[in-house]
Amino acid sequence: MTAMTPTGPAESLHEVTLTVNGVPRSASVPARRLLSDFLRHDLGLTGTHVGCEHGVCGACTVLVDGETIRSCLQFAVMHDGAEVTTVEGCARGDGELSAVQRAFGECHGLQCGFCTPGFVTTVTAYLDQHPDPSEAEAREAITGNLCRCTGYQNIVASVLRAAQLRREEREEAPG
Amino acid sequence: MTTRTVGEPIARREDPRLLTGQGRFLDDIGSAGLAAAFVRSPHAHARIVDIDVTDALAVDGLVAIYTHDDLPGRVGETLPVLIPHEALTHGRTACPLAKNEVNHVGEAIVMVVATDRYLAEDACERIRVDYELLPPVVGIEAARDGDLLVHDDVPGNVSAHLVQETGDARAAIDTAPRVLDLDLEIERSASTPLEGRGVHARWDGDDHSLRVYTSTQASTSVRAALAAKLELPLDRVEVIAPDVGGGFGVKIVHPWPEEVLVAWAAIMLGQEVKWTEDRREHFVSAAHERGQLQHVRVGYDDDGHLLGLDVTIWHDNGAYTPYGIIVPIITTTQLLGPYKPGAYRAEFHSLYTNTVAVTPYRGAGRPQGCFAMERTMDAIAADLGLDRAVVRERNFIGPDEMPYDHGLTFQDGRPLIYDSGDYPATLAKVKKLIGWDAFEAIRDEARAAGRRVGIGLGCYVEGTGVGPYEGGFVKVETDGTVVVATGLTTQGQGHQTVFAQVVADELGVALDDVVVTTGDTRRFGYAVGTFASRAAVMSGNAVALAARKVRQKALRIAGEALEADPRDLEIVDGVVQVKGVPGATIPLRTVAVLSNPLRYAFDAESQRATQFAAPADPDRPPVADDDEPGLEGTDYYSPPRSTFANGMHAAIVETDPETAEISILRYCVVHDCGTLINPRIVQGQIHGGVAQGVGGALYEKLVYDDAGQLLNASFMDFLMPYASEIPVIETDHLQTPSPLNPLGIKGAGEAGVIPVSAVLASAIEDAESSQGIRISRMPISPSELYHLRAEATNEEGDS
Amino acid sequence: MKVTGSAVLHASREQVWQALTDPAVLVRTIPGCLRLEATAPDAYAMTVTAGVGTIKGVYAGDVRLHDQHAPGSFVLSASGAGAPGTVSCDVAVTLSEDGDAATQVAYSADAVVGGMIGGVGQRMLAGVAKKTAGEFFAAVDDVLAGREAVPAAASTTAASTTGRDAGVVYTAPPPALPRGALLTGEFTRGVLVGAAIALAGAVVGGWAAGRQRR
Repeated sequence: MTAMTPTGPAESLHEVTLTVNGVPRSASVPARRLLSDFLRHDLGLTGTHVGCEHGVCGACTVLVDGETIRSCLQFAVMHDGAEVTTVEGCARGDGELSAVQRAFGECHGLQCGFCTPGFVTTVTAYLDQHPDPSEAEAREAITGNLCRCTGYQNIVASVLRAAQLRREEREEAPG
Repeated sequence: MTTRTVGEPIARREDPRLLTGQGRFLDDIGSAGLAAAFVRSPHAHARIVDIDVTDALAVDGLVAIYTHDDLPGRVGETLPVLIPHEALTHGRTACPLAKNEVNHVGEAIVMVVATDRYLAEDACERIRVDYELLPPVVGIEAARDGDLLVHDDVPGNVSAHLVQETGDARAAIDTAPRVLDLDLEIERSASTPLEGRGVHARWDGDDHSLRVYTSTQASTSVRAALAAKLELPLDRVEVIAPDVGGGFGVKIVHPWPEEVLVAWAAIMLGQEVKWTEDRREHFVSAAHERGQLQHVRVGYDDDGHLLGLDVTIWHDNGAYTPYGIIVPIITTTQLLGPYKPGAYRAEFHSLYTNTVAVTPYRGAGRPQGCFAMERTMDAIAADLGLDRAVVRERNFIGPDEMPYDHGLTFQDGRPLIYDSGDYPATLAKVKKLIGWDAFEAIRDEARAAGRRVGIGLGCYVEGTGVGPYEGGFVKVETDGTVVVATGLTTQGQGHQTVFAQVVADELGVALDDVVVTTGDTRRFGYAVGTFASRAAVMSGNAVALAARKVRQKALRIAGEALEADPRDLEIVDGVVQVKGVPGATIPLRTVAVLSNPLRYAFDAESQRATQFAAPADPDRPPVADDDEPGLEGTDYYSPPRSTFANGMHAAIVETDPETAEISILRYCVVHDCGTLINPRIVQGQIHGGVAQGVGGALYEKLVYDDAGQLLNASFMDFLMPYASEIPVIETDHLQTPSPLNPLGIKGAGEAGVIPVSAVLASAIEDAESSQGIRISRMPISPSELYHLRAEATNEEGDS
Repeated sequence: MKVTGSAVLHASREQVWQALTDPAVLVRTIPGCLRLEATAPDAYAMTVTAGVGTIKGVYAGDVRLHDQHAPGSFVLSASGAGAPGTVSCDVAVTLSEDGDAATQVAYSADAVVGGMIGGVGQRMLAGVAKKTAGEFFAAVDDVLAGREAVPAAASTTAASTTGRDAGVVYTAPPPALPRGALLTGEFTRGVLVGAAIALAGAVVGGWAAGRQRR
């Protein structure tokens, strides 16, 4: 965890408290601290990645109060008190991989893995809202995230497979 | 019988941690250290007059400010030209921090170290550099004209000039029945991995050793370079490539200025120092590629047989030549593809411009060569009114002509000799996959309905598995784990899985028992790197050879323990057994214990092993003269030459008659890379390559203005494709194994990207055949297509 | 490393000369100076806290005034060592009249810096040195203008029997106002206060005796 040195009277610190992946976390940071840097360096949750810092690639996507946002375009202070889910929080409660994560593994939907956290959070949120996408809808759902390795084909397949796995989970669920 | 894993689409071992955010990329390492940032030139060509750091001193958290004056001895010298070549008569490289002059926007001038990246950038902003502006050279034409020079001592801006020929192409063309000239252009693009570069360095002052993590494709080479530059003994320098978020060639350059400087600063300051670049920095200070002007002159007969091919390339190598002239050499040698050119002459001029340096990007010059050749084949077919596939097939090297010697020298300095390949068979497969023969009817039907659809074809041959070698280390531990190490690196190619598959099969152990490390000089010291589609060929074979050594030793020791002939033994699921004799078994991990004649039984495994200990022969030493303790082996694979993979792509596109929008309706790939270790991983590589090819054909170009400013140094304006731009990619495979290596593998990493511009140009021209346009430049955008249509209409109007 | 610069002080040359060669003035105007102890005529042992960027620490060293041509020029040679590194420098100082009530002070320093602070880069070091010099001269100007009081020669409570050069110690008072970004934080301020309290019996008499010899 970085030691955030005060920069003198010009830059005051703000106590930011978030619930991240169900756990209350806080740190004191300057107002200009990006949410992506806050998560990665102040809280040590390095799963969220920074690919461009101008909101285009989507690698930094996290869920804030259930909605996807680009954490590189946010200041940590803007989200004081929010509920944040990062890729580290996308596994199941019992520690097993979620349906989305398993689907990506089964479909070879990742290669270098750098863009992957952004896809996992994006697809997780998407399927929460749209549990049964067509192939075209699945492709459109991921059209805001850049991947340089996979050519997207297997990521589309991962979305569809994740939807299928979730359906199976719902069917298996008691009651 | 152990299940064989080679050839199976095994799920990747690296995925669970990457999917849960447990990857360890460069910026995830070492948050507690100092941060470096750079003041970079905002001008394309300038002399540095003064550097004033006064205002930066007010930034609390500032630790150090370095300029070239501070760099001692070798640290401040120019960076190396990695691959010298006798034709590279005027190679030039930068100093890690600019000494007197800057030659491109983005060149590093000052390094700032502070307690935090934000503060380091604050300090950078406050540093004032005074420049004397010099006129920049931008664009190949300007460089070629030579009125203005990038480097004062490089006449005509020519870093290298090389001619290679077989036969007398010019004479053949002069006497040919038909001749065509083509002028072609490919615009500049870049690798653009999602993770930029980064370096983390830690100096241990107590034992005078340096550890560097860097997002690189060649950790062993970075180690050698840093040891030389910092004047440290090699065994006191460790370099580790952590998880790397994509490379695609740009991370093969070494040492980057930042690698030298961050390591040096860590030593000077006695603290960990880290630098990770931001996206804009990557655009203006990493490396670019692809930009070339080409002139092709071809002589052929009335049946479309090539008689002579004369190609001249003007290659933009940017401001410096750290990687030598590999890219234009590859363009001129791989241009030939699967064809016999009759006589061939290839000439290139590699030119300096005041832009970012040019080093290999996936394909490394092959896409440009393929574009030239395939546009030529299409032009010949158009001229003769022949089917484009027929013209190509008439010029193929036949499978019975393998190995085929082109009489040229390849990028590895060795003869360009194709080892194997069945081009007619590949063509038949791709034609079938896309429905080539039936397409004419489809096109006519579409045209009748007012739609413009077209089909295109592109063929390439790719030299892969370039040497000089790679090595593998395999060791069976006493707990049954099989440790594998190889020195080259990984950027998403699944090496932890693929090399585990090879070793698991060779040894007869379960895949889950095999653990692979790549790119870590602590684990394997001799290596070259991951590039040129060589990892599976080189390290795949090297770990196989090392595993075979281990297997042989295991069987010898097991044979002694079981009192059986090693030839009667097999290894199944990690247990050595006598074939057909149940019960006569010994686990491999016990063999590992036996391989090391220890005095002490310090754990249960070694105690258990004593039951197998043969009575010692008092006249013979416990470790024989030609033996070593341990069940381990190291071996190297070093091929006589590269092995040549090949492929053919076909695509169907539709263009909008009004808006000129270009859509790819179908994209088909037939690919031959010999034996496939993991078909799913190979397919993933092809998908990714095709996507970069589509980007290069339709969207990606780096735009410099006349002042040498890069106008689109961000993802907002450099258009990398999203999922909406990439079609479904249909693939089929051929497997003509390479005779050059034990596993029969050829490389696959770059294959997807090589012919895409050629294929799409071919398809778009076909869709527009009623308009009679000729595409000679890529990428092509709808507005460019619109203008080409307008030009063609005007020409018709004039004629 | 060479650092040059100048400053205008609002007093006559003679007054400026007096101030610049008076250890009671030096101890409270050299940024970070904790104590000066006379070891010989025109020679002192000095303790100073100094920093370059985030690399800060305490230095102990020697200062010597020589080549003195009152009131026009002198050379100050200093060398010191501390955890962050080592410094040795020669500073040539010349004073010239600038009207009736002002003096132009020009300095030219030649310094060799080693150790950790030697590793922060020449431009940063030179920049910090110039800043320090600027603060020093501003502080001297404050003294000359009466904005800062220098304690008059106190009674010799611990005067040495041998006279001028026996362990006379000058300590800096706790600064009333922070002097720019280079002054250290709370920790060092505490040190200064502690030093002043601990050495409450400081004597100036020995120095005064020595001066009369000129």
